[in-house]
Amino acid sequence: MTIDALKGRIPSGLPKVGGGDAATTPAGAGFSDALGRVVDAVESTESQANTAVSGMLSGTTDVHDAMIALQRADLTLQFSVQIRNKLVQAYNEIMRMPI
Amino acid sequence: MSTLGSAVRAGASALAAERMRIEVAVSNLANAESTRGPDGQPYKRRDVVLQTTTVQDFDDSLGRATAVGVEVAAVVEDQGPARRRFEPSHPDADKDGYVTLPNVDPAEEMVDMLGAARAYQANLTAIGLIRDLVQRALDLGRG
Repeated sequence: MTIDALKGRIPSGLPKVGGGDAATTPAGAGFSDALGRVVDAVESTESQANTAVSGMLSGTTDVHDAMIALQRADLTLQFSVQIRNKLVQAYNEIMRMPI
Repeated sequence: MSTLGSAVRAGASALAAERMRIEVAVSNLANAESTRGPDGQPYKRRDVVLQTTTVQDFDDSLGRATAVGVEVAAVVEDQGPARRRFEPSHPDADKDGYVTLPNVDPAEEMVDMLGAARAYQANLTAIGLIRDLVQRALDLGRG
């Protein structure tokens, strides 16, 4: 799966919080970094599921191992969707804040 | 879901072990009448020996793993006495007309197989339960 290709585009839409002084923002504090880490997690479980499924098809992995890997990937994806929802919600909340 | 991850791994190890038990029971059942093996001797009933194992997980390396898995330690041959049946026409019959048959009791193998199948189902249910719990926790984020 090539979710990494998607990851490059996410930060462009979401500027970092904290105004202009990006140098003082700690690493991983921005919305884009948070989203990037979530996408990384999805990517890794997705590749594990891929390995398990191809192992299952070639007869080296058990059925239950493949299904558990798929479930894990599914739950991680659902988790990341929830994180995405919350991040976008928080971002919109801040953008709507009257100054 | 680190703690639940180790529980899922323990369940998965049990699934593999129960599958092995079923495979061995099936091979016993299939060879209930085999009078010749690769060594020329009748088939001997096989048994699976299970042992506990620590599941490899992040929690495990931190020393707070709560789930313990299971693995197949060995598949051993049952050294019980072989069955003998009077059948003089059989090519493997001895001079008295008795054929030495494997020490396999098909009824016993069926019971073993049913037990292993039920244990497999129980572990599947446990893994499904963990999945449902995580799913419900994720539902907290909705709305």
